[in-house]
Amino acid sequence: MYELETPRPATAVGRWSAMSADGPMPAVPETGSGSDETYDAMVDVEATDPREELEKTEYRTDLGIEMAEDARRVSNGALSSAAYWEKYDGDAAAEFGEAYRETPNPAVDCADGTIDDETAESLGCSVGTMASIAEGLEGSESESDGENGDDTRWGMVIDLQKCIGCESCTVACKAENRTPPGVSYNVVMEREEGEFPNVTRTNVPRPCMQCENPPCVQVCPVSATYKMDNGVVNIDYDRCIGCRYCMVACPYDARYFDFGENYDGEFEEAGELSSPEYGMDRGSREDGESPIGNVRKCNFCHHRLERGEEPACVETCVGDARYMGNLEDTDSEVNELASSSRAFQLKEKEGTDPNVYYLK
Amino acid sequence: MATQTQTVTGRLRGNRLRIVWYVLLIALLAIGAYGGYLRVTEGLRSTNLTSTVPWGAWVAFYIYFVGLSAGAFLVSTLSNVFEVEGMHEIEREALFVAVVSMIVALTFVMVDLGRMDRLWHPFAWRQPLSVLSWEVHAYALYVVVLSGELYFSMRGDLVATSETDDGLRGRIAGLLTLGRTDTSQEALETDRTWLKRLGIVGIPLAIVFVHGGTGNLFAVAAARSYWFSALFPVIFITSAVVSGMALIALLYVLRARLGGRTLDPALLERMAALFVGFVALDASLKVLEAFVGLYSLHPGDVETWLTIATGEMWWSFWLVMVGLGWVAPLVLLHRRDWRRRPTFVAAAGASVVLGVVGTRFNIVVPAQIEPALYGLPTGEYVPSTPEWLLSLGIVALGALLLTIGTELLPLVPRGETHD
Repeated sequence: MYELETPRPATAVGRWSAMSADGPMPAVPETGSGSDETYDAMVDVEATDPREELEKTEYRTDLGIEMAEDARRVSNGALSSAAYWEKYDGDAAAEFGEAYRETPNPAVDCADGTIDDETAESLGCSVGTMASIAEGLEGSESESDGENGDDTRWGMVIDLQKCIGCESCTVACKAENRTPPGVSYNVVMEREEGEFPNVTRTNVPRPCMQCENPPCVQVCPVSATYKMDNGVVNIDYDRCIGCRYCMVACPYDARYFDFGENYDGEFEEAGELSSPEYGMDRGSREDGESPIGNVRKCNFCHHRLERGEEPACVETCVGDARYMGNLEDTDSEVNELASSSRAFQLKEKEGTDPNVYYLK
Repeated sequence: MATQTQTVTGRLRGNRLRIVWYVLLIALLAIGAYGGYLRVTEGLRSTNLTSTVPWGAWVAFYIYFVGLSAGAFLVSTLSNVFEVEGMHEIEREALFVAVVSMIVALTFVMVDLGRMDRLWHPFAWRQPLSVLSWEVHAYALYVVVLSGELYFSMRGDLVATSETDDGLRGRIAGLLTLGRTDTSQEALETDRTWLKRLGIVGIPLAIVFVHGGTGNLFAVAAARSYWFSALFPVIFITSAVVSGMALIALLYVLRARLGGRTLDPALLERMAALFVGFVALDASLKVLEAFVGLYSLHPGDVETWLTIATGEMWWSFWLVMVGLGWVAPLVLLHRRDWRRRPTFVAAAGASVVLGVVGTRFNIVVPAQIEPALYGLPTGEYVPSTPEWLLSLGIVALGALLLTIGTELLPLVPRGETHD
């Protein structure tokens, strides 16, 4: 199964691996006295003849063999990834054309890329992270399903009549996003009005509003925070310089600075895992590493949305007060609720046009 | 004979004073270094900043020193652009103060960043609509313009110094001439022309971008209604001019007292009159701003003004900003003969230099105390000890640069020294 060995353009991987899947199915091997030779032999039984397999495709066999061989040398360290891509960039572009140029090259990964930015710049293909490729694949899948087309605009509706102020959303959010002390993407604001016996109490949960006209995006000097096509306001932790201008500009105080504090000793494995926010796995929480020193905020649990799940606060809500969906889709529940006469947005006069609606 | 003895004792006293001054600066730098160590090892945890009040002392000092720089620069243009008589004497000093203030301001920006290691990001990635992005570029350009002006202003004297002085001063002067050693009338005339050109570029840069722009940083934050006013950047500029003039006047008197330079009472009076005029303008604009805000009865404005005037830090408004910043200079300099007295001008200068610090703190902090939404926590902020220590160190760094520059560079035009 050589397709797992080395990075290469996703299109090519897709086509080649699809071919080898037609080959013999792996059998359950009998491992009596497992020595290295027995395992090697088992692999040999499974192996298909690469030349034969490649002949079945419309692409050049010799190029495929050559690339695969060099790819092995990359994985055992004899050849650098950068040299590999410099060598094959031209051929691959000629062979795969448009598809090559448009598919992100996973060799360039933000966290620990195997080739440097300069080489990446010189390549004919576009470059991206593993996450961006995964997203691209998911996007194309869902598009073919007819849901979540490119005109998705994620929105949330919160029914204040149903909210009981239990703060499970706040807790679920903390657990899901593993936010440190002092950072809480979701809070519930409580307001008591009137005098006894005519007293009302309203609980207003406050996630990030994912504004259509976000003031935070407008002020960021390095474009580290920006609006995605699906309406979610993103933060690029690897670009953010921590100037906190966005926090000052936010009319909802929805942004938090990660001072690097931890729940050390308060529960087991505190800080050993971080949430895969924006689809990026950052491993354990380490001093001086992003997102410490960055600004953070609710992103509608973007990583959950990407895998077809509702944000943690929506899923956990005891009173079923929160709704999540595509505001562009006129058949969706959120679209219907957001258009009701009960619907309002926080601080409408600010002109930010939040994608979070409340029902009076 | 008698004069000779006086000079010698004067020099001895001067030397002792100099040693004390350097020891003081080094002590302050050491204290600052400890603050810096805490800042680096603990990150912004070493501050009293919170997510409710994300901007604090370092931002206040940053805008203070940007203001000082813009103010000092505008004083220098009185000489080289507007050709106000007698101002030539203080032109270079003003330019040098402007450069050093910018260095101090940008150091405060750096230590305030959550990720100091990404200081270069604003030059690699931009956001065409971000005022802060414009500012970063304006600051860089402004420092280049200031350095260029200082060069053209000093070059003739640098050449002379490098020729007459064999020591460190001469060698540094030689390097700083950048190889242009022509001191013919024609070459000096070219210097003067370029100085004026740079000054003309510098004026809109300093007013509109460097300082008006810094005011804009706050004014465009519509979420904070206390800042959200078009008068805000204008007040930034007036208080910048006030603080810059105050410092230049103070330095002028100090240098004269310590370095045996004779004071020109006419120049002193001219500076003091301009200075007091700007103090009055600054105070009036601020009163106007407060009036509109309070009259609106908008909660954001009213609550912030109440925080400023009656909150925990009431003294920083009444005593520092109003007392030291406005009342003291107006009282000290309201009479014509008082404006000719160096002690009075220096006292008023010192008072305003301190008072405007209060102005800057009262811009940055109070607007963040009231939460943006009802039910969110109310902010609370007083700078932490590491914040004070590091601030002290950074200011001392500025003072050290200023002192070294004064010692080594011909900041006082040669031939006009009276020694």
